[in-house]
Amino acid sequence: MKLSGEYVFDGPREEVWKLVRDPEVLMKCMPGTQTVNKISDSEFTGEVTVRIGPFAGVFAGRVIISDEVPPQSCTLTIEGTGKIGFLQGVGAIEMTELEGQKTLMKYSGEAQIGGKVASVGQRLFDTVSKSMMKQGLDTLNGFLKSNAA
Amino acid sequence: MDKRLIGKRVVRNEDPRLLTGQAQYVDDVNLPNMAHAAMFRSEYAHARIRSIDVSKARAYPGVIAVYTAEDMGADCYPGPPLVSPPPTVKDVIFNSRRQVPLVKDKIRHAGEIIAVVIAETRYIAEDGLDLIEIEYEPLPVVADIEKALEPDSPLVHDDLDSNLAAHLVQKKGDYEAARASADAIIQRRFTIERGTAAAMENRGIVAQWDAKSEALTVWDTTQAPIPIRNGLAARLGLSESKVRVIAPFIGGGFGPKIMMFYSEEMLVPWLAIKLNRPVKWIEDRRENFYATTQERGQVHEVEMAFTRDGKILGIKDDFIHDTGAYDPYGLTTPLNTQSHVMGGYDIPNFTSEFRVAFTNKTIVTPMRGAGRPHGIYVIERMMDIAAKELGIDRVEIRRRNLIKPDAFPYEHGIIDQAFAPLIFDSGNYEAVLNETLKAVGYEKFIKEEQPRYRAEGRRVGIGVLPFIETTGVGPYEGARVTVEASGKIAVATGVGTQGQGHFTSFAQVVAEQLGVDVTDVRITTGDSAHFNWGTGTFASRGAVVAGNAMHAAATMVRKKILKLASKVLNAPEEELELEDGMVRVADIPQSSISLSDLAALANPLRGAVEPGTEPGLEATAYYGPQYGPTAFGVHAMIAEIDAETMMIKILRYVVTEDCGTILNPLILEGQIHGGVALGLGNAYYEKLHFDENAQLLNASFMDYLLVGSTEMPRIEVHHLETRSPLNELGTKGVGEAGAIPVPALFAQTMEDALYDYNLEIRETPLNPNRLFGIARKEKTA
Repeated sequence: MKLSGEYVFDGPREEVWKLVRDPEVLMKCMPGTQTVNKISDSEFTGEVTVRIGPFAGVFAGRVIISDEVPPQSCTLTIEGTGKIGFLQGVGAIEMTELEGQKTLMKYSGEAQIGGKVASVGQRLFDTVSKSMMKQGLDTLNGFLKSNAA
Repeated sequence: MDKRLIGKRVVRNEDPRLLTGQAQYVDDVNLPNMAHAAMFRSEYAHARIRSIDVSKARAYPGVIAVYTAEDMGADCYPGPPLVSPPPTVKDVIFNSRRQVPLVKDKIRHAGEIIAVVIAETRYIAEDGLDLIEIEYEPLPVVADIEKALEPDSPLVHDDLDSNLAAHLVQKKGDYEAARASADAIIQRRFTIERGTAAAMENRGIVAQWDAKSEALTVWDTTQAPIPIRNGLAARLGLSESKVRVIAPFIGGGFGPKIMMFYSEEMLVPWLAIKLNRPVKWIEDRRENFYATTQERGQVHEVEMAFTRDGKILGIKDDFIHDTGAYDPYGLTTPLNTQSHVMGGYDIPNFTSEFRVAFTNKTIVTPMRGAGRPHGIYVIERMMDIAAKELGIDRVEIRRRNLIKPDAFPYEHGIIDQAFAPLIFDSGNYEAVLNETLKAVGYEKFIKEEQPRYRAEGRRVGIGVLPFIETTGVGPYEGARVTVEASGKIAVATGVGTQGQGHFTSFAQVVAEQLGVDVTDVRITTGDSAHFNWGTGTFASRGAVVAGNAMHAAATMVRKKILKLASKVLNAPEEELELEDGMVRVADIPQSSISLSDLAALANPLRGAVEPGTEPGLEATAYYGPQYGPTAFGVHAMIAEIDAETMMIKILRYVVTEDCGTILNPLILEGQIHGGVALGLGNAYYEKLHFDENAQLLNASFMDYLLVGSTEMPRIEVHHLETRSPLNELGTKGVGEAGAIPVPALFAQTMEDALYDYNLEIRETPLNPNRLFGIARKEKTA
């Protein structure tokens, strides 16, 4: 399954990058996030509650950040498992500065899902993941604006 | 009075029990102290198991036990091969790989069982599953059958060099020579995708161990209770007489329930003995989507050689067959495909080569149609394409090639699924075609109705096509017929019943011989305690193989009745009549004796029986054909399609079936109706969507679309009877007939309805979205 899109932040690239790399901020942004633990600068573990169609469950996951070129780009490797299935994905984030102190984030990735999430929730997964993504990025943008204010 | 019962539209003996909820199914078996099992299944399609931790599940209140492969020890080994590879074909490759009860190291498809939790209730057992922790090492997955055979594909079985499960070539005549002399060569590629049988009742097993008498009783939703009994006895080291397998009423078999041994079938009886408690496992629908076998995945590359006037000179067909992660059922399905790629046509030259591929998907075993719809799809699509390319009417090109009535028995010179020679025993194919054309009004539709529809801007198409069905294969079935002291008739056979009307059609066969009412014949099917020889209900063989065993046993009992009555009534046997449960002297009705009294006389409590006589009025007989009879039919459909939405409305659906002697037209029509429903599902609704990681994406009835009553057309069934010369009753099978031609017929009808799109459909199943895409030459799923 492929996931890609872009988002324009109302702030400079360095600020966006700082927020993206802050686990505390991410925890507040990602809908359903219960815990985030920093294992190292580039590795985090955590738990996220996800609801997809008829199933809801906690995913225990791990995110590894690699190929990092601050404040421009990085690669995220994500794996999560829970009672309702599993998810493995690799995504790339690229940020470019726009005029007027704005930042364009382009993201693209490929995820493999299995278990109930795939067999029963597949049709909804696309919509759910897009809406979670949008919700998360909107919240992040909110932080950005309130920090600037 | 007409004493014939065979062929009569007798209402079904079993219906009162079924319709009032009195019929026993496996889940109705509830025993004191019964424990419940739930299976922990892999979510990965291909992975190595790094560790299994069941300690939390074991500690959960209400959990009785948790078993893994390690706990099962030496008892955890694969089931026996169900069908061995054909010994008579040269250079056949067959790599037999069967599933184990519990997987220890490597997962080969999503849904394989890693652990089993046994608890006081199913709820607790399911809660226990949530506490099991498995660490996997995911492996690259192979889902596509063509990619599976590429050299760099991940291996499903590491001990093999490739994913090639089997390879087999069969030839008749000389295709290359035929090709050289042909006026036209047509080549096409066809893809056929998987569906599921979706029986109303999922699988289920209840096992009860009686330690004091060392006896095991198993209730199983199997189509093959006797082989399950024999296999379990061997596996568990018990005497066959101490293992009783009961296949009670079953809510639909359709083939997957004859797969054996399923992991659960090996596990549940073993658990019952181990725990010394009855254990029940009932499959849920999601498990059914993963763990019950499926069918239909094939890719064909076909070439046909024709003369200018549409005569077939030969066919060359290369195909790949998807067997999933294991191949317990041997080559039955691809061999059936091979047998049906020539359809009902006189084809002198034939070369067919198939390769069977292992993939990380659910196991494939026969499902109603069992490889036959694929063969018919290929040949009938090719006939439609040839008709267009050669400018011959599609009915006419078929008529020119159908096997003629005087050509039977028609020998193909290749072997069939039962490794017997492929011989079509009898038939009158053109008459069946003509009957259908007349019934559907083909000429009038083409000449008058269709032009009128088209002038109105409506897209209404017609399809007509023939098919064959190889049926009634061996090895054998048996039956025991007993006249009881009540005068009622007790009959037992080893085949199980899943809705085929056995309690009526078999009763008609016996009642006609013994001169009793059909309701006075009580049939027991699928209980090894009542009859313990047999193979099972599959391959459209019940009415042929068990039916003829019934007939033979009833004929023997009739002889015993006449012999004894002749003595008692002091009249020659030729003058005796069996009617209304009585034996009468033909011209002296007052000189008679009831079967009840006669049964008592045959089994006296005192006195002496003559030397050499057996007690009772009872006989057991067996029937085993050398090869199976081949049925023939023609289906026709008129359907309207809305080109904007691709929603269809079937206006007419006509079937003419020739399955030899009809035992009961009511039951026969029911079989055809059910088959057509499955066929329509295969054609336009049902498809299992796997992603590239072999994850099933529509494992629920929310997303897997079954044909409902609102989609079903009224089906008009016509009959022709060409008796099979192979058996006494003259019967041929019909169990799968309804389903076989539908996808090909549907494609033909849609091409005709969407005439202005100039379609060529080369895949099945379709759906509105996909058909829309084909019509607009777009890529859609």
